[in-house]
Amino acid sequence: MIIAERKPFKEIAAAVAPYDKILIVGCGTCVAVCLAGGEKEVGLLASQLKLAAGLKHRRIEVGEITVERQCDLEFLEPLCDFVADFDAIISMACGAGVQFLAHMCHFKPIFPAVDTTFIGVNNAVGYYTERCRACRRCYLGLTGGICPVTMCPKGLLNGPCGGTLNGKCEVDLQKDCAWSKIYQRLELEGRLDNLKEIVPLHPHSRGTTPGTVIHPAYRRRYGVDE
Amino acid sequence: MSKLSEALALNNFAVVAELTPPKGISVAAMLAPVASLKGKVQAFSVPDNEHARMRLSALACCRLVQEAGGEALLHLACRDKNRLALESELLGAAALGIENLLLVSGDYVTLGDHPDAKPVYDADSVQLLQIAGGLMAGRDSTGQALDGSPSFFLGAVVIPEAEPWGPQLVKFEKKLAAGAQFFITPPVFDLEKLKSFRQQTTASAAKLLAAVKVLSPEEAAQAKTGEWRKVYAIPPDLLARFEGKDGNDFFQAGAELAGNLVGRIKDEKLADGIYLKAEGRPDLLGKILEVAGMC
Repeated sequence: MIIAERKPFKEIAAAVAPYDKILIVGCGTCVAVCLAGGEKEVGLLASQLKLAAGLKHRRIEVGEITVERQCDLEFLEPLCDFVADFDAIISMACGAGVQFLAHMCHFKPIFPAVDTTFIGVNNAVGYYTERCRACRRCYLGLTGGICPVTMCPKGLLNGPCGGTLNGKCEVDLQKDCAWSKIYQRLELEGRLDNLKEIVPLHPHSRGTTPGTVIHPAYRRRYGVDE
Repeated sequence: MSKLSEALALNNFAVVAELTPPKGISVAAMLAPVASLKGKVQAFSVPDNEHARMRLSALACCRLVQEAGGEALLHLACRDKNRLALESELLGAAALGIENLLLVSGDYVTLGDHPDAKPVYDADSVQLLQIAGGLMAGRDSTGQALDGSPSFFLGAVVIPEAEPWGPQLVKFEKKLAAGAQFFITPPVFDLEKLKSFRQQTTASAAKLLAAVKVLSPEEAAQAKTGEWRKVYAIPPDLLARFEGKDGNDFFQAGAELAGNLVGRIKDEKLADGIYLKAEGRPDLLGKILEVAGMC
């Protein structure tokens, strides 16, 4: 899932300071799980904004709504009429959700309330770690289910760098060296031969942004050549 | 053929001295060892933003070394350049007459003095060796033909004291397969570990340069307090030689120790040559060779 972290209140408050009617839109999927932008966080931010305005003897109107997924047109369309009553929008979704909402709601200033951080996993409440860089060429079958692109800070594809120390990473000695873990895993699985071939240069052209995926079954519908 | 590759091919014990590129454009101090040692060493090695700290361009430094009468060994790190820039730099080196290369991944940017810089690592060191090999064969990394192909002596790093050893061996073997002709180790203080590595890799046709370093007081202090985070160990009895020494006495003791290590590495044939790290100081580099009986 997408992991995000809420921005400091000061930054959010400064961004919406010119506006009196503000709508906060939460997202009920990834950012809700990582406690950054779900319904509870929308309520908390609304209270903070109202309290801060009150301390400055300002009256502001803050609307709150949380949709299932801001990255999904199906859930965003019903919002469009609702937004009309407000001067500005704060989106608590990841960057994809913020942009989709901005695209749907023309001429409304929109501000992010979270910093989108990475694609990761939910280890336990409040504890998330990165696992995928969405590099568009997955090596996990070769590397024992441990991603060298993500788990090695340098994204090295052919083995460890010279800085690995006792199986730990030169960048952060609290973290495991990805290549030590890959080696251990493949050794346990009897698949060390996987590491004999030199992995060629990564095809970065596939990662030219912004990316588009059309499912093969829908190519005709979207006018894409078969 | 470079002097370095020629010396190694003839099984002459080779000497490479590392220079310290300035953080700025004052190059006189960096070039001082070239004037005093060019008859005693095969090549002067120039790191590429070593430890991810921004310094004068290694390629420019290599050219200056040549103009001062020395042979250069250019380091090229994958950290700072994508494949276009790496290939272009390699061709630039060849056009300037630089043959000796040390191709490395490069320390991560957050460990250096520009921690917010974007780390590149478009290629890794194995892939960079392949790229250089491809250029030598007249093709760039996309297979396009070159107008004139370079000649290189390809070097890479190996970590004899790596723990765990398995992953390092994978990398070493890939570097060999990718065309590495010589390897340089990190600084060696524990010769037993070097000996063990040498015994394991005798079948390799690649040559080995063992690095020997003059310790700084800061490094010695780190090694004593357990804050050491290097890929090589310093035996306690060697550290004890620095007890009570500071300032220049400390460095002189370091150079003497380095000289002793060089002598043993040469006598016991633990490497095909030596790579000297002495903060680019001509006096210390000269003393190491003197103590080792090599000048």
